[in-house]
Amino acid sequence: MKNKILLLLTSLVSLLVLSGCGPAMVTKGTEFPKMYEEAPRSILILPPMNNSTDAQAKDYYMTTVEMPYALMGYYTFPTEMVSDIMKQEGVYDTEILYNMPLSKFKEYFGADTVLFTTINKWDVSYAVIASSLTVSISSKLVSTKTNETLWHYTGTIKVNLSGNNSGGGLAGLVANAIVTAINTAMADYVKYAKVANARLIYTLPAGPYSPMYMKDQDIELVQQGRRH
Amino acid sequence: MKKKLILSGALVALFLLSGCGSKEPLYNYGDYSQEYYNYKKNMSPETQLELQKAIEQAIENADDGSSDRVAPGMYANLGYIYLKTGNTKLAKQNFIKEKTLYPEATHFMDRLIQKIDALEETTDEK
Repeated sequence: MKNKILLLLTSLVSLLVLSGCGPAMVTKGTEFPKMYEEAPRSILILPPMNNSTDAQAKDYYMTTVEMPYALMGYYTFPTEMVSDIMKQEGVYDTEILYNMPLSKFKEYFGADTVLFTTINKWDVSYAVIASSLTVSISSKLVSTKTNETLWHYTGTIKVNLSGNNSGGGLAGLVANAIVTAINTAMADYVKYAKVANARLIYTLPAGPYSPMYMKDQDIELVQQGRRH
Repeated sequence: MKKKLILSGALVALFLLSGCGSKEPLYNYGDYSQEYYNYKKNMSPETQLELQKAIEQAIENADDGSSDRVAPGMYANLGYIYLKTGNTKLAKQNFIKEKTLYPEATHFMDRLIQKIDALEETTDEK
């Protein structure tokens, strides 16, 4: 009896922790039913549309996206090769790429789905004590067979970039400012992009190479806005 | 008592968050991501060679991942580096490995192999 109560309380606590401040929860299965119906095996990742002010964001972001989607169990087409081939075909502009008929990606690469990503915001706010990075990303996975959106994510992720606040006084503040400046250097871009990816990838149903394939319908997610 | 409860709750949450408790990632990527980034930052024969080494290492240590498989795209990427450095034979070999391991890549790899064959034919004729 005591054990049962403990178990119940434990799961309640964990639910509370997971749900944060109590947003609406939804399962993967009900949120993205088409993923389970169509069961795509491969993803062609396109370079992101970059609406943020950070011009380099695109290239660096591209080095971070292949791995998380592959680790979720999908076959991911090698991004470097795909982008070179598109260039050889005369497609340099992301906008043109985004407006191409999806059947082209099936025809050329044999891809089941195409991943479109828009970076709306990539803002680093510098401050002496606490710098932060705000990333707004929307991603959607679209079927090359049906042209339908199978999965989507829209979210804003805030990453604290400040170093540990050790040592007080003026010296401490100066030290922190230096750490902050180093932390926000371009080399760390990739690190934060990975954090951002990890948050959004969690909502994607597992792919055929994952042990969770077709077993994760009941995993609960925070319900997203309906904006695409 | 209360503390213990909160602790166990947090542990359960952590467990759930980490995705059904698999400790190892599906694939071993080694330094691939880092070297890919370095290569994009400064495209040179040197950084390309470092990238190639990272890919070869990741392939060699594929059993460090929970699936024991070479990650998607690794053989293709390696083949592509060989292609760029003019070694069409090894390029083709790796493209074949990629599609054998991942049938999803068959269409794409066959296309590349056809291109290499066509290229080789025209150079043979000269």
